Amino acid sequence: MMRKAVMVLAAVVMIALGVTVTMAQETSDQTLFLTFVPNIQFSPFYVAIEKGYFAEAGFNVTIEHGDEPIGVDLIASGSRQFGIISGEQVIAARANGRPVVYVYQWFHQFPVAIVATENSGIESIADLAGRRVGLPGRFGASYSGLIATLSANGMTEGDLSLQEIGFNAPEVICIGGVEAAAVYVNNEPLQIQNRIDAGDCGSVTGIRVFPVSDYAAVVSNGLVTNEQTITENPELVGAMVGAIDQAVRDVLNNPAEAYLMSAAYVEGLPLSDDFRAWLEAESASASERGDASPLESVVYNQALRDALVDVSDRDAALQFEILLNTAALWANDPLGYTDPAAWETTAQTLITMGFLDEAPDLSGAFTNDFLPQIP
Amino acid sequence: MQAVKNLQSVQMRPRKPAFRRAWLSWIGIVSVIALWQIVVWLRVYPEFIIPPPISVVERFWEALADGTLWLHTSTTVSQMLAGLLFGVVSAVILGTLIGKSRALEALLSPLIVAVQSTPVVAYAPLLVIWFGSGPTSKIVTSALIVFFPMLLNTMIGIRSVPVMMHDLMRSLHATRWQTFRMVEVPYALPVLLGGLKVSATLAVIGAVVGEFVMADAGLGRLINQARFSFDTPLVLVAVITLAAIARFMYGMISVLERRLLFWQRRQ
Repeated sequence: MMRKAVMVLAAVVMIALGVTVTMAQETSDQTLFLTFVPNIQFSPFYVAIEKGYFAEAGFNVTIEHGDEPIGVDLIASGSRQFGIISGEQVIAARANGRPVVYVYQWFHQFPVAIVATENSGIESIADLAGRRVGLPGRFGASYSGLIATLSANGMTEGDLSLQEIGFNAPEVICIGGVEAAAVYVNNEPLQIQNRIDAGDCGSVTGIRVFPVSDYAAVVSNGLVTNEQTITENPELVGAMVGAIDQAVRDVLNNPAEAYLMSAAYVEGLPLSDDFRAWLEAESASASERGDASPLESVVYNQALRDALVDVSDRDAALQFEILLNTAALWANDPLGYTDPAAWETTAQTLITMGFLDEAPDLSGAFTNDFLPQIP
Repeated sequence: MQAVKNLQSVQMRPRKPAFRRAWLSWIGIVSVIALWQIVVWLRVYPEFIIPPPISVVERFWEALADGTLWLHTSTTVSQMLAGLLFGVVSAVILGTLIGKSRALEALLSPLIVAVQSTPVVAYAPLLVIWFGSGPTSKIVTSALIVFFPMLLNTMIGIRSVPVMMHDLMRSLHATRWQTFRMVEVPYALPVLLGGLKVSATLAVIGAVVGEFVMADAGLGRLINQARFSFDTPLVLVAVITLAAIARFMYGMISVLERRLLFWQRRQ
């Protein structure tokens, strides 16, 4: 009897040790590369950390922010395994020998738009001809979005008076430096409108927004890894995609909860006591409602946006609205799916921009193989 | 005949070390290129991170042939020279005044030190918003970055004049202008030229930082453009061009220094 008990105990200890060792082996440190700076727009990654999705997938994730080309080189050289990179950067990088692969489309609508002041009389893309149009620089998503929009309307950048204004569109538009600008659709139009409402935008009385996605399907930001990781450790890629997919789904379902969780990661994110209470109430009602499809969530979130009018903390309301606007750009069915036709359009845009000489081979640039919904 | 030979040998003697130094400089450059090629051969990094020197040379000729390099280099050089001029002139004027007035130093030094201790990349975006995306913001950035070392060296130079020299000029009933021209300038000149050497290289940094933030042309803009199109050889072409400009400026001021301070060599 005693012998049997000792054997059972030994077996239990061995199993426990085995589990511990297995868990230790399966947990890997991952540095996830993001562009820009900590911001409410990156809330799915904060939610994935807070809700333990990365941990469940076996990752101990550290987030780092930096310049997109640096991120591409870090991922391509294997110094990092995952990062959020825009589609056109993946094409340009592969054309220059970098073995990066796009595995999950995060933004389904290209986040860039052309914003024009009402006073300018610009009512269509064609009206931009001969006008002073600002853009951060002749690189990155803003430039490719602008070129794709112009191409779709039979125009080229030579038709405009392009001015490089950095990421200062609200300031430059409000002082009358440009009549229109390529901006991030989820952010700058709100900032400009807020300034107009506050009477702090010079002679500008209103704006018109022309989203790039209305004119051209260009591949936007998504999760990128390298060919070596896909070949040697496809389970790792699948696990990372699964964790991010769940987090994106959660933010769409319950943006109020995502905002609350993001406060610990985004320094200076406005969160007064009243607004926290409002968010907690909205979060609770979203939890009661249960999971909705991504496209249904956008409809629910529209009601949430309308309710923001009554929020007294305007800074917080602006940031929350940025989150809602951003989340609307992620929605798709299925989430994460990247359309091969959009890659062709993006490659053509890069050729028009002069970043590519000829049509690239796109076969290895992206894959939908790791999406949780697609067997 | 022997006298001529002796004279020639005397004339040749001082040239030997300079000639040797020039060779050593070239050996240094060639060594770095050789090391670079070895790193490429050993595949320490993929070629898209560290491309071989030959592909950088090829990219250099391409950029030179299609006019890209000239366009961006001429823009940076013109902005740098304008910034250097404004920065140096204003620093020398203010440095001279501060060098002569402790009260003025007490009044302005906290402000000047505060500006100097702030990294240029921190305020460059503000300068672009205030002065626009054209050349003015780059000229101002460049002028600000050269201002402090030049100001400091001017102050030190002006204060390096021995008291007895001032006493001497007073005893000779020299005017302020005569004292400035005949005593203060010659005494300050070695330190001033030292400051100018530092400022000339810093002026390149100032112009490029401004171009990094926002620009239609310039080597900073070219680097940004090349980075976003993953053209690493072109990034290196622009970086090496910047280094060459800085080295050229340093060399030019060294020549100026030798000409202006000829009396030092005689001593």
